[in-house]
Amino acid sequence: MDAPLLAIENLRTYFFSRAKRAFIRSVDGVSLGVARGETLGIVGESGSGKSVTALSAAGLVTAGPGVISGHIHLHSNGARRNLLDGLEKYARVTEQDGRVMAVEKDERGWRKHSETLMAGVRGKEIAMIFQNPRSALNPYSTIGKQLVETIRLHTNFKGENEARERAIHWLERVRIDSPRLRFDNFPFGMSGGMCQRAMIAMALSAEPSLLIADEPTTGLDATIQSRIVDLLAQLKTETGTTTLLISHDISVIQRLSDHIAVMYGGTVVETGRAAEVLAPEAKVRHPYTAALLASIPSADTIRRKSYLQAIEGEVLDTIEVPRGCRFYGRCNRVTEAIRENCAGLEPPLGDVASGHKVRCWLYPAARKA
Amino acid sequence: MRRYVQTPGRIGEFSELSVRQRAEPLDLVYMGYGLLVVALVVASYLLGAFGWLPHDPQAMNVGLINAVPFTSGHLLGTDFLGRDLQARLILGIQAYFLPGLLAITISVAGGSILGILAGYKGGWFDTIITYFDNLLDSFPRLVLILLVIAAFKPDIYYVMVVVGITGMPVIANLIAGKIAFLRQKSFIEAAHALGLPAHTVVLKHILWLNCRALLVIQATLGMAEAILVETSLSYLGFGVQEPTPSWGNMVQAGANYFLQGNFWPSTAPALAILATILGFQLLGDGLNNLLEGKRRK
Repeated sequence: MDAPLLAIENLRTYFFSRAKRAFIRSVDGVSLGVARGETLGIVGESGSGKSVTALSAAGLVTAGPGVISGHIHLHSNGARRNLLDGLEKYARVTEQDGRVMAVEKDERGWRKHSETLMAGVRGKEIAMIFQNPRSALNPYSTIGKQLVETIRLHTNFKGENEARERAIHWLERVRIDSPRLRFDNFPFGMSGGMCQRAMIAMALSAEPSLLIADEPTTGLDATIQSRIVDLLAQLKTETGTTTLLISHDISVIQRLSDHIAVMYGGTVVETGRAAEVLAPEAKVRHPYTAALLASIPSADTIRRKSYLQAIEGEVLDTIEVPRGCRFYGRCNRVTEAIRENCAGLEPPLGDVASGHKVRCWLYPAARKA
Repeated sequence: MRRYVQTPGRIGEFSELSVRQRAEPLDLVYMGYGLLVVALVVASYLLGAFGWLPHDPQAMNVGLINAVPFTSGHLLGTDFLGRDLQARLILGIQAYFLPGLLAITISVAGGSILGILAGYKGGWFDTIITYFDNLLDSFPRLVLILLVIAAFKPDIYYVMVVVGITGMPVIANLIAGKIAFLRQKSFIEAAHALGLPAHTVVLKHILWLNCRALLVIQATLGMAEAILVETSLSYLGFGVQEPTPSWGNMVQAGANYFLQGNFWPSTAPALAILATILGFQLLGDGLNNLLEGKRRK
């Protein structure tokens, strides 16, 4: 198997809460790989660090201290790049029994350095689409002009007319009706779904190696959501673009992903092939994944008129991270045999099957690792 | 009453409405008048610059002091030295045109830069601009100008530099506010994510596409402000100095003869000031309503 297109290793992105004088450990040691031509879905509740992981990969984290350690390797066009190359020079992390106590970071220097690393990568190699497409488009410019701008910037269609033709071609590919007329529309003249299509066209028009879709269906109507998911599925088969899909909606992830990473409290708690992780009869499953799956309305729950299962408790506060398992406080499957472990020691991400990893003391793989 | 008229053409297309259809009738009257004033100001400036005046503005005629309008070829009459008022009125615009443009350029350019730094970079830029703003606010502008005049010389360009600088915080605040508003909409971040270089984002997507209307409006209002400042200074005797005419010093010179019944030497320039400032203000107001869509019910 060749190297994954994007490999994130041990990424830590922290923010600082002035009020509490403590670090917000948004992303705390995440390792992920997105294989070429596949879609990796990251799922988790709000505040689990999904989006920050993606923003870190695109070099778009602006608040301090931001990315403080890790590697992000991008293998594309035969080149291998570390997008966090030289980070050690700018950031010094002081740790005390496994906890980061202080970070000294030359943020200006780092940002400058990061910009040079990201030049030619952001937009060209890694493109991104956001939630709330309406606000992600400049309201004072037509979608056509904005599309032409990215096409001329990133592709060889430099001429005004050929870029225009290319833009119309892309509007067609994202199935916008009468693209020639829509070309001159302002974002306010279009529906949210249309804007998202335009945004997808804009991201894909640069023919990026990696598409990061950060909650692409959030903020849209339910019916439009499903259409956008259909579109993304179709585009995936047509263009074969490697995608990093982020959503809190596990059903969206289910439909589009080849691989899945479930995130909780800034860490990956379960990862593996989508079919395996989400298989209804799966024996090995992280309690958090199980809880997420139980919260999707299914035909079965509707027929039996049973209540959907909510996950008890609140999302982990990533400021005061407990010593043990991060899900311990909300977990309903803690047994007496492992309680001590759960409360006092963070479980490692152990292999339970080939390519399937779970971070839970319930499974012996974790205990062995 | 508003009319809703669909333009003939392809259905489903937007922004085909002409200015006439988008604006309220009153705004059109405002803007028409404002544009007329601008045209007259430019024309008078050119007439004065090329010296195409009906009379020599400096030629004194002791036999014809404070002559009433329409006497022997003097359309607006003459002043207390027998100089032709019409020629001096036209030449007077020289005192406002280029200096006013200088003031506008300084306040728009400086204000944009400060506004972008405050809104886009934030942090201590924001603090500095707030303090700069407070400093200028707490200090009467006219006193500041008089200080500059006392320190250097009573030159209209010095005055206009001060007017320009004191106009900067208003524009900076407007732009910073606009950027703060735009920031909640994630398109600036999206533009970065699409790989657009920072200067394209700032200059094109923020300043040009989102703030141009605001800048045009501020520039129009700035011109009115510049004229008003010069007028006040001239009335105090610190503006443009005789024998060079400006509307301000013409009003001041004529005022001495006002109570003797010779009202026209000061009334003519005063009306010119009124009409011009009103024109610029209404133009700014009309543009504001049309482009920014405020004050709509």
